[in-house]
Amino acid sequence: MKKVALAAMLAVAMTGCSKQEEQVLNLYNWSEYMPQEVLEQFTEETGIKVIYTTYDSNEAMYARLKLLDESSQYDLAVPSTYYVNKMRNEGLLAAIDYSQLAGFDNIDPTLVNLEIDPGNQYSVPYLWGTTGLAVNAAAIDPAQVTSWADLWKEEYQGRIMMMNDVREVFHVGLRVLGYSANSTNPEEIEAAYNKLAELMPGVRTFNSDAPRMPYLEGETDIGMIWNGEAVMALEDMDSLTYIYPEEGAVVWLDSFVIPKNAKNIEAAHKFIDFMLRPQVAAMISTEIGYATPNLPARELLDPAVASDRTVYPTAEDMVNAEVQEDVGEALLVYEKFWEMLKAGS
Amino acid sequence: MSRWLPRIYLMLVYALLYVPILVLIIYSFNDSRTGYRWGGWSLRWYQALFDNHAMVQAMWNSLWLALAAATVSTVIGGLTALALHRYQFRGKQALRGMLFVVMMSPEIVLAISLLAMFLVVGLQLGFVSLLLAHVTFCLPFVVITVMARLSGLDERLLEAARDLGAGEFTTVRTILVPVMMPALLAGWLLAFTLSLDDVVVSTFVSGPSYEILPLRIYSMVRVGLKPEVNALGSLLLVFSLAMLVLSQFILMRNKR
Amino acid sequence: MDERQPFRSAVLLLVWSWLLLLVLLPNLLVIAASFATRDPQDFLSLPVTLESYQRLINPLYLGVFTHSLYMAAMTTLLCLLIGYPFAWALSRVDKRWQTLLMILLIVPFWTNSLVRTYAIKLLLASNGLINNLLQSVGLIDAPITMLYTEGAVIAGLVYLLLPFMILPLYTVFEDLRDDLLQASHDLGAGRMATFVRVVIPLTLPGVIAGVLLVLLPAMGMFYVADVLGGAKNLLVGNVIKNQFLDARDWPFGAAASVLLTVAMAVLILAYGLSRRRIGQETVE
Repeated sequence: MKKVALAAMLAVAMTGCSKQEEQVLNLYNWSEYMPQEVLEQFTEETGIKVIYTTYDSNEAMYARLKLLDESSQYDLAVPSTYYVNKMRNEGLLAAIDYSQLAGFDNIDPTLVNLEIDPGNQYSVPYLWGTTGLAVNAAAIDPAQVTSWADLWKEEYQGRIMMMNDVREVFHVGLRVLGYSANSTNPEEIEAAYNKLAELMPGVRTFNSDAPRMPYLEGETDIGMIWNGEAVMALEDMDSLTYIYPEEGAVVWLDSFVIPKNAKNIEAAHKFIDFMLRPQVAAMISTEIGYATPNLPARELLDPAVASDRTVYPTAEDMVNAEVQEDVGEALLVYEKFWEMLKAGS
Repeated sequence: MSRWLPRIYLMLVYALLYVPILVLIIYSFNDSRTGYRWGGWSLRWYQALFDNHAMVQAMWNSLWLALAAATVSTVIGGLTALALHRYQFRGKQALRGMLFVVMMSPEIVLAISLLAMFLVVGLQLGFVSLLLAHVTFCLPFVVITVMARLSGLDERLLEAARDLGAGEFTTVRTILVPVMMPALLAGWLLAFTLSLDDVVVSTFVSGPSYEILPLRIYSMVRVGLKPEVNALGSLLLVFSLAMLVLSQFILMRNKR
Repeated sequence: MDERQPFRSAVLLLVWSWLLLLVLLPNLLVIAASFATRDPQDFLSLPVTLESYQRLINPLYLGVFTHSLYMAAMTTLLCLLIGYPFAWALSRVDKRWQTLLMILLIVPFWTNSLVRTYAIKLLLASNGLINNLLQSVGLIDAPITMLYTEGAVIAGLVYLLLPFMILPLYTVFEDLRDDLLQASHDLGAGRMATFVRVVIPLTLPGVIAGVLLVLLPAMGMFYVADVLGGAKNLLVGNVIKNQFLDARDWPFGAAASVLLTVAMAVLILAYGLSRRRIGQETVE
């Protein structure tokens, strides 16, 4: 009798997970990169349930997609600039069907048809942002900090926070030495490594999950941060200041892509279409502090948000800024030096 | 002096073990958003927890998984213990050895070996892969628990059964299973807890189609600043305590 | 005799096939993978090579591994130093209280370990409870740096793993009969001599079992290092996880995992030997 009961329990457990008749969209996105309300509104309108899982680096996202390639359980992912290019070249993506999207014309023309994806065959821009300097004004005078090179100053050692991301950290090293942050020259990359290695003993922590946290915890006072995180941090810590470094901030554009074996391509398109709506895009930009590429959405923004230099930099802020590009084979060189950097730190 | 010193020491270590948990419970009622400031008493994080559909779904998923994993590993583990106790067969030492190795293996080694296996056979990562993995690491613990109980068994009972003409299956059902029952229950509970708390193995063998609580918590904890985590931790503690009281109650009743 | 055959065969078939398919075969796969060549496109490619093992001993990774081993060893040592007297004291407490105390020991380990790691973070941060408390009392002026250090990782590991050290120690102390100590005393041995020549040898199996239960997980619990170590203090577990889930270097990850398995085998062997030498029969 008891065995029957056990068997019945097991049977219930098995069916408990497979009864999902409702449509499901598996969205793979960066941590804290989409407000909960937006997802709920989408589900309400379309009846499609969104399963939101997160990653903290392009590498982790890429590895997971490769791992699940055959069973391809993700319908939508949000790689950064250069990973769009990489994944596209490797044939990992499904082409976007523009007949299913209404609002693509809303996107800023300067952010479409880029080299990473000519004609936007495989990607639709979601948000763009910058990686710059964060300073805790309660501990360090923000006026003293103007460039990436300031991180090497004696008095800041031990209070520095860096991103946990190979390309962003090497951006700092390369720019400080005057090289392009998209360098593919192994000698330049090695020089950047040597420069960064000097900084490592003073680095308190690496964080790409929520780079504002080490500042909030009081562990670090200066270092790298994404502009949106700097905006979010203000809620709990008004002394955090965002600074565009003289050598140029990192500029990235995150785009929606559909993995080639995605199961629910139709829902993926519906979701992208929903994201292209000006009201939705405006809400996202306001909520999480990154810049929307959606031009009509900018009209809808609260003036305080639209004029916030942290989110929407002026032309002057962007003078030396450099957009991340695919570096091809050189990525392996970067990764090698990155491992050495972190192992030696 | 010599009587009090050990007691004070015991208390000190218990305090160390319980301070973080106490902090967790107190902070779960903290009205402030950051875990680093006190903002007055509030129940808002419990509210937030239940409003978070993904979280509630993950909670159910974890519960189902733990129920299934505990049940399957108890059935298989119970039978294995029975076989090891009762039968002579070739490879018995190898079987024991293998269970011992599973128990001692670092979880991460088990995790990657299972991931490799699932990829090779093309099993989709989700409920089934999680179940297989969880049963595998729970199995040896159930076997050990049940074996300990069986070793105290009075062999004359079994002889008597055979003399009375009971077949093997009947003997197992009418004598051995009742004897094993408390140990099976203990083993089930152990497996249930192990499954519910596992992070390492699940990180590798889960897919987005079946998200479980520890992984959800992991992504929240990595981001930090999630007071819901405190509320959830407190609830889990209350749940474990309830389970503990329940199991003690059942064991007591069985003893009588 | 014959009628037990079908039942017996069914049970053995089930158990054996489970263990072969989900333990032996997967482990063989990992060993095989450790000899393959890294392939950025697919996970593995063919030429069989020892490259991954050579990389394990290159100074870069050797440094990471020895640092990880050091943190795990410190964790184990601290657990032993805290746990040994604790288990002794516990085994000498009135029997009526022992069950309750044992349960109290196990309860924390029933609260999700990640949540508890997070609680430790709340305690250790510069803006966290300990620093706030010390500052408000006036003991310190500036916060002490505790989070994102090696010490934070070790503290987290000790906190999570201490019960695993105490449980086997408690078992051996319970079996240690007082009349043995009395006898030693009667034969003229002092406290120190009794401790070194009677207590330590008799509790050694418990010590080794505890070490086994703490040291191995302490090398693998990557989430503790993730949350408390600030991505700077890596455990072997972090290295393996990164190779499999970020860098996609499966052969190297597999080789690191084989290394960990070998470490386990050595420890288990030591455990078996110590039990045999003490002349107890090996139960497991």
